[in-house]
Amino acid sequence: MFAAERINILKSYLRERGKLDVHSMSQLLSVSEVTIRRDLEKLEAEGFLTRHHGGALLRTEEDPPEAPLPSVAPAEAQNEADREEIARVASLMIRDGDVVMIVNGRIARILARRLSVHSGVTVLTNDIQVALVVAAQAGNKAVLLGGSPDPDSGALFGSLAQTNVQAFFVNKLFIEVDGIGEQLQLSVASQEKAALIKEALECAEEKIVLCESSRFSKQAFFRLGPLGLAHKVVTNTSVPETYKSRIFAMDIQLFTSVNAFEGGD
Amino acid sequence: MPGDGPPLLELRSVCKYFNDEFSLHDICLDLRRGEVHMLLGQNGSGKTALMNSVCGVFRRDSGEMLLEGRDIDFASVNEARGSGVVMQYQNVQLFDNLSVAENVYFARVRTGRPFAPGLDSYGLLEDCARLFGRLGIPIAPDSLVSSLGYSERLVVSAAQACAAQASVFVFDEPTAGMAEPEREIVFNIVREIRSRGAGIFYITHKLDELRKIGDRATVLHAGRVAASVPDGSADRDELIRMMTGGTNPERYPRLRVDYGPQILSVERLRSGGVLEDVSFSLRKGEVLGITGLMGSGRTRLANCLFGQIRPAGGCVKVEGRPVDFRHPSEALRRGVALIPEDRDKNATFHNQDVLQNMSIAALDRFMGAYGLDMRYMEELTDEYIVSLGIQPGHAGDIMRGYSGGNQQKVVVARWFMSLCRIFIMDEPTRGIDAAARIDIYSAMNDLVTKGASIILISSDVEEILGMCDRVLVLAHGRIVCDLPRSEATSAKIIDYASG
Repeated sequence: MFAAERINILKSYLRERGKLDVHSMSQLLSVSEVTIRRDLEKLEAEGFLTRHHGGALLRTEEDPPEAPLPSVAPAEAQNEADREEIARVASLMIRDGDVVMIVNGRIARILARRLSVHSGVTVLTNDIQVALVVAAQAGNKAVLLGGSPDPDSGALFGSLAQTNVQAFFVNKLFIEVDGIGEQLQLSVASQEKAALIKEALECAEEKIVLCESSRFSKQAFFRLGPLGLAHKVVTNTSVPETYKSRIFAMDIQLFTSVNAFEGGD
Repeated sequence: MPGDGPPLLELRSVCKYFNDEFSLHDICLDLRRGEVHMLLGQNGSGKTALMNSVCGVFRRDSGEMLLEGRDIDFASVNEARGSGVVMQYQNVQLFDNLSVAENVYFARVRTGRPFAPGLDSYGLLEDCARLFGRLGIPIAPDSLVSSLGYSERLVVSAAQACAAQASVFVFDEPTAGMAEPEREIVFNIVREIRSRGAGIFYITHKLDELRKIGDRATVLHAGRVAASVPDGSADRDELIRMMTGGTNPERYPRLRVDYGPQILSVERLRSGGVLEDVSFSLRKGEVLGITGLMGSGRTRLANCLFGQIRPAGGCVKVEGRPVDFRHPSEALRRGVALIPEDRDKNATFHNQDVLQNMSIAALDRFMGAYGLDMRYMEELTDEYIVSLGIQPGHAGDIMRGYSGGNQQKVVVARWFMSLCRIFIMDEPTRGIDAAARIDIYSAMNDLVTKGASIILISSDVEEILGMCDRVLVLAHGRIVCDLPRSEATSAKIIDYASG
């Protein structure tokens, strides 16, 4: 859920009841208590309420009532938050006018949604959902590779997909991997995905590996190659320190997707 | 002229491990009688570390060191001094409350007798006056050290080395931040020592000094000997090339963003005879790099912008409005933060916990109607610990137990929490491990992608090239070049910085 949405809910709640407590609001909205407190801090700065321990009191009742309550999003796991951070940083690497390939995956789908701020981006993908999301964005274009659909991943694989990839040249290739092992070997969960990525590597200028921190020190079933094939790796700060220094020493750009600054616009 | 015969001091395959990022590898080097052996190399190349292992600060792990043919392995600086090996450090150590003469001849006055004012029982003043006369030092021997300026202290410190009876002298950047007349005096001191037949290792970043007083030079790079050159056989460009070999700014994680409008401008800033006519501007979302040699005025500039020092002249504008900070708290109120160079001394409360260290500048945020909202403070601290990957990462951990990298992350979090918009970072990654550096670079990306701006002051040229959009080089308190990232190279930067 977006911050603006949450703040609207808090405002309506306060207008109705005159006070609220942090704990129950965090339960109701499925966000952490610190998020609620930060929202209350903003609302206090606007003069809307007065904070006290554990909650807040309404200060003014002048504002007219606003739109009805929107539906509340379900709870999100830490891994989902990690994927969000990775997708945020990956999307910042894309410039208007780029031709990129996004290989299927969960981070890939979040990344596709974030491309709405860009225009003139052409996305080549084997992920049906990524293609649909990008195609719906006014300024961007999606190209879906052909092939046989895999119902588990919602993506297209097989010899047709591999042959089609060869017809393109992309300036950025985003590969979501399922494991980075102790020996810094990249791996993915299916043989078809590994085969498709190997073809894609041949026709890409810059190769960017996306990997959640929980996937480090793990080996998925199919080997893709050494980490050294990547120019950039995007992951989270919770990756063990030894990986950070080893990857930096290999002259690969490592992004740990810090998302700490609250003072942004 | 350098003497013939066996070398005065010889290093054979000296190795010393410091950490995973830096070690001295297989150093072979010698020093002859009556020669000035220049040591060149970028910051972090190992010049000072190597000399420290010669002078007894560290012991080597392996290899041999021979002084006049005898194997040596000094356990302490005093032992080295006793054998005639002395070092003059970059940070001048003089006694403020003693006279110049007493400092210069301190070795002579270590008896238990207290100094009687006006009584010169050791002949110090006379000897000092004679020495200063010969070297052309225009400082009165009976003046107090506390009354001297920065350059004069450096001169006194060099003269102190000159007064020592030793056969091997090490000077570590003795002319850093010095003006031309004082530099001539230091050269005189070095020549005087050489004429006595002693050997001198001379660390410098100023390439013209090789031609002026050097007999020979060795270039270090990443803890190894990169090249060895007799004077005159290498030109400036070739030396710079040897010093920059193997820099790879491409490995730095940097997200490029489109800049916004100008957020800070500095016009004709002057301060304390160090900074002269400094003008530049910073845009929203930009990482501006400032580099320069020690003593070029980098840190003073940071302190002027943060309200630690009031500039003597010039104008600073934040978001178009002139500001005149009298105290750092005023700078913070306008969204300007400084992550200072010396973290230990100027930024961490060693005996306080992470919670206090992090929230100290943002207490206003936690103020509710009934006092500080501790719950909020703790929760927000925990959130920063997670998002910056601070280890071990409990709000109640006492800071002094933390590694340098994690302490630095806590300091970064402090200014994040105070919601500043302009971050001045003075050597933010000096002396911290690679893992923490990566997270600090990612934190810098976090700032600029959210519209904050950064001034990155660093002596690490690779880092400057890797992280910055634009590079300013300071030399002698002036900006000598202003290069966009696309035009900046390490060779150009070193060329401008070394004057």
